Amino acid sequence: MNHDETTAGHIQELRRGTVVLACLVRLRRPDYGYALLESLNALGILVDANTLYPLLRRLEKQGLLVSEWNTDEARPRKFYRTSPTGEALAEVLTTDWRRVDDAITRLTTGDDR
Amino acid sequence: MTTLTDRYVWAAARTLPEAQRAEFERELRERIGDASDALVDTGRAPADAERMALVELGDPAALAASYVDRPLQLIGPRYYLTWWRLLKLLYSVVLPIAVAAVVLAQLLSGADVGDVIGNAIAVALSLAVHLGFWTTLAFAVLERSPGKGADLAWTPDMLPQLPELSRPGRRSELIGSLAFLGIFALVIVWQQFGLPWVDALETIPLLDPDLWSFWIPYFLVLILLEMLFAIAIYAWGWNWWLAVANLALNVAFVVPALWLFTTGQLINPEALEAMGWPWGDAGEVTATVIVVVVIGVAVWDVIDGVIKTVRGSRAGAMPTLGQL
Repeated sequence: MNHDETTAGHIQELRRGTVVLACLVRLRRPDYGYALLESLNALGILVDANTLYPLLRRLEKQGLLVSEWNTDEARPRKFYRTSPTGEALAEVLTTDWRRVDDAITRLTTGDDR
Repeated sequence: MTTLTDRYVWAAARTLPEAQRAEFERELRERIGDASDALVDTGRAPADAERMALVELGDPAALAASYVDRPLQLIGPRYYLTWWRLLKLLYSVVLPIAVAAVVLAQLLSGADVGDVIGNAIAVALSLAVHLGFWTTLAFAVLERSPGKGADLAWTPDMLPQLPELSRPGRRSELIGSLAFLGIFALVIVWQQFGLPWVDALETIPLLDPDLWSFWIPYFLVLILLEMLFAIAIYAWGWNWWLAVANLALNVAFVVPALWLFTTGQLINPEALEAMGWPWGDAGEVTATVIVVVVIGVAVWDVIDGVIKTVRGSRAGAMPTLGQL
C-alpha cells in the first residue's frame, strides 16, 4: 500500500460519520438522492453515489429518515426527509462533532490541559 | 427492445425477496436515470452516458446485496473464530477417534492389513470432507439468519496456558495411549487364535489358555481402566490423586504379570515348545531382561507421573474449546 492509498483510507474513515450527520441536517428540507449528492459535493462534503444511496436506505430503515415518492415529473423520485428521531440524532452528533473539534484544536495549539 | 437499464435492473432485482423488488427497481431506475442525465449534461451521447452510469454502479448482484445488507462473504468476522475453533476441535478429536474405531472394527472382523489401511484412509478423507462441509454450511446459514443467533462470547477463561506451563503434547499423548492400549488388548485376545506374523505360533495361543478363567479377563479390565485413566489425564491434567491411581494401576498390572511369568503360568507350554524354548543359554538371560525391563518401565511411568504432577500444580487448568 503506497502513501496516497493510506491517506485516502484514513480520510475516508474520518468522513464516514460526517456524511450521516450532513444528510440528517441537509434533509430537514426534503430532497431526492441525486440532488442531495450534488448539493453535498458542492458544499465540499465529498461523498460517492455508491455510498450515499445505500446510506439513505439504511437511515430510512433505522427510522432516521422518512420517504415519499414524488410522481409529478416524468421520472418518479423518492424524496427523503429527516424524521424527529433523525433530528434528535443530528443534535447528538453535532454536539459530539463540536467536542471532537474543540479537542483537536486544543491538541494542535498545544493547550492540551 | 430492452435497454441496458432494463437488463441491469432485472439482474439486480432478481436476487432480492419478492416483497422488496418493486420499490428497489423504482429506486434503481431513478438513480440510473439521474446519473446518466448528469452525464448527458456534460456533453456525452445518451447511450454512452447510460453505459457509464451502469459501470459506475458495478456488479448488480453486489449492488443488490449492499441495498439489503446481505453479507458478501461465506462466514463473516462475527462467526469466523467460532467456526475455526470448532473445526479444529472436530478435526483433532472426532476424526482420529472415528478412524481408530473403523480400524479396530476391521481388525476385529479379521480384514487384512492392506484393506484396513486403505479403508482407514478412505474413511478419514470422506469424514474430513463431511465435517468441513456441514460445519461450514451451518455457520454460513447462521451468518445469513436474522437476529443475534448463537453468540459464543469469548471469556478470559479460554486463554491458553503459556507454552512452558502447559503440556502441549497432551492430546497426542491421549491418542497415543488409547491407540497403544487398544492394540495391546487386541493382541491379548487375538493371540488365542495364533499370531500369524510369528511362524511358529500361527495356530498356537501364546498365553496359557487356562488364564482365560480369571487372569486374562483381569488384564483386559485393567487395560480398560488404563484407558479411562488416560482420558482423565487428558481432561484434568496430572494431580496427586491421579499420580496415586497411576501407581496402583502399575502395581496391579506388573505384580500379577511377573508372578505368572516367573512361575511359568503365563506362557502356553505348547507355544514354548513350538518356539524351541529355552533357547540354550540365552533362555535365562532373556527371562531376566524381560523382568528388568517390565519393572523399569513401570517404575519410570510412576516417577514420570509424579514429575508431571509436581510441574502441573504450578499451572494446570481444564482444557476448553477456546484453548485450541
